[in-house]
Amino acid sequence: MGNIWVMGRKEFASYFASPIAYVAIAVFLVVVGLKFFVVDTFFKTGEASLRSFFELVPAFFVFYLPAIAMRLVSEEKRLGTFELLATLPVSDAEIVLGKFTGALGFLKVTLLLTLVYPLMLGLLGEPDWGAIIGGYVGLLLIGSAFLAIGLMASTWTRSQIVAYIVGAVLSSLFFFIDRILGAFFEEAKKVAEYFSFSSHFSNFTRGVIDTRDLVFFVSMIALCLVVATFSLNRRRWN
Amino acid sequence: MSQSAATPMIEVADLRKRYGEIEALKGISFSIHKGEIVGFLGPNGAGKSTCLKIMTCFIPPTSGSVRIGGLDVQEHSRAVRKRFGYLPESAPLYTDMVAYDYLKFVGALRGVGGRKLGKRIPEVAEKCGVTDVLGQVVGTLSKGYRQRVCLAQALIHDPEILVLDEPTVGLDPNQVVEIRTLIKDLGRERTVILSTHILPEVLVTCDRIVIIHKGKIVANGTPQELQEAQASNPPVVLRIGADGLAAESVQAVIKGQPWAGSVRNRPVGLAGEMEFEISGQGADDLRERAIGLAQAQKWRLLEVRRELLDLEGIFRKSTQE
Repeated sequence: MGNIWVMGRKEFASYFASPIAYVAIAVFLVVVGLKFFVVDTFFKTGEASLRSFFELVPAFFVFYLPAIAMRLVSEEKRLGTFELLATLPVSDAEIVLGKFTGALGFLKVTLLLTLVYPLMLGLLGEPDWGAIIGGYVGLLLIGSAFLAIGLMASTWTRSQIVAYIVGAVLSSLFFFIDRILGAFFEEAKKVAEYFSFSSHFSNFTRGVIDTRDLVFFVSMIALCLVVATFSLNRRRWN
Repeated sequence: MSQSAATPMIEVADLRKRYGEIEALKGISFSIHKGEIVGFLGPNGAGKSTCLKIMTCFIPPTSGSVRIGGLDVQEHSRAVRKRFGYLPESAPLYTDMVAYDYLKFVGALRGVGGRKLGKRIPEVAEKCGVTDVLGQVVGTLSKGYRQRVCLAQALIHDPEILVLDEPTVGLDPNQVVEIRTLIKDLGRERTVILSTHILPEVLVTCDRIVIIHKGKIVANGTPQELQEAQASNPPVVLRIGADGLAAESVQAVIKGQPWAGSVRNRPVGLAGEMEFEISGQGADDLRERAIGLAQAQKWRLLEVRRELLDLEGIFRKSTQE
């Protein structure tokens, strides 16, 4: 436990050691802000809801979070620092969980900064707080799942670019699978919906926190982290 | 944790490692006792780093075993990893971290607790000469400082064993001397294994040398032992005054002696002197024989000496096959 925390803190700090993190957060906030104020003309419609916010952010996360996760392991492999890390008395699972914790911290900061929108809604009108809380829980879960996918992809290569592409492709596959498959095969729609991140996420934005959706995201995250651990562990196999 | 003096600190038995088609280690066995500084010497690509990577639990061997303090590196990987400090080749560091934070990070993962760690960091920084750069981002440090920060990292938990892969590569001559002195100093209370392809390095710092070539150990011993081992009946060099003698006839006379094997006329570069390298047959001391012969032939004897290979010669001889 202690090791995971130490690793997580280091990863979290290293995001903010370079200007890229600030740029990434700024881009995110600008995109969300434009959508909110310009496209949806928030002040004109006068609707006290974050519906369009919760539509935009997960789709944005599909391409944004793989960029946050891409360097986690690939960079260690490229720099050779992985050799030192792996010969410390730390297990591969601790490495994976630590890195995940650090990236999760970054996600939380990003989400925290968007809280100004619901606060604004609260000041100006009477929003549906259930939907907003549900939406944020959903964003945290779907974001964690994208990070776990990105982290897993990062263990497969020493190139950040490859890690990003693989992470983003897998993420979009899981996000849009019902729309892609459903368009072609009517029968596959049910199965596709079960695996679709977006359909599980949509329940949260209605203010419904369903155990099935929770279990789905938590098991997706766990699966990716287990695969990532195995992929690190592979070097110990013959 | 205590162990008898007879149990080796590091015991490597018939270690083999295959990377696909390439066999990097072809059955290596040796042991290192507590408090020894052992130099792993070999040309680039000899298998030194592979061996160290297996010892430090980074990769598994294809077959064979490594025991550290009696524990198998594969079965008790985590326990083993606690006991050594490791400086990997080319000192990989997180370039975006401040040196102090980096040492704190490794220390925490090494299980050195908060307050103890706060005392320990200045200590190792002092020892490795990085006190002045603790507040700097690692990426801005020179190669020499990075190497020393990485060495400080290896010492943070005061390990019994230090594994150093090419510790002086890429340093300037002054830094090389400093690092060697430091290693020698550290080796007083620790077991140290270091790899290098630089010969003087092992001579200056190591108690024992293991020469490795193409995945095999070709020599193992103290510098003195290695010299003696190939010196059971070394050739002698005989130098005499020319005094109008023909080199061919002198060579023929020496060759005619029952104790002489091969004789070679060596160029001297000095007018009036001739030199012959004589290899012996049998166990006779060639020096006495050569002196006796020169007296009998009334040659003006200038010099007789044994041709001992220096370490460089041994290294070249054993790694050229």
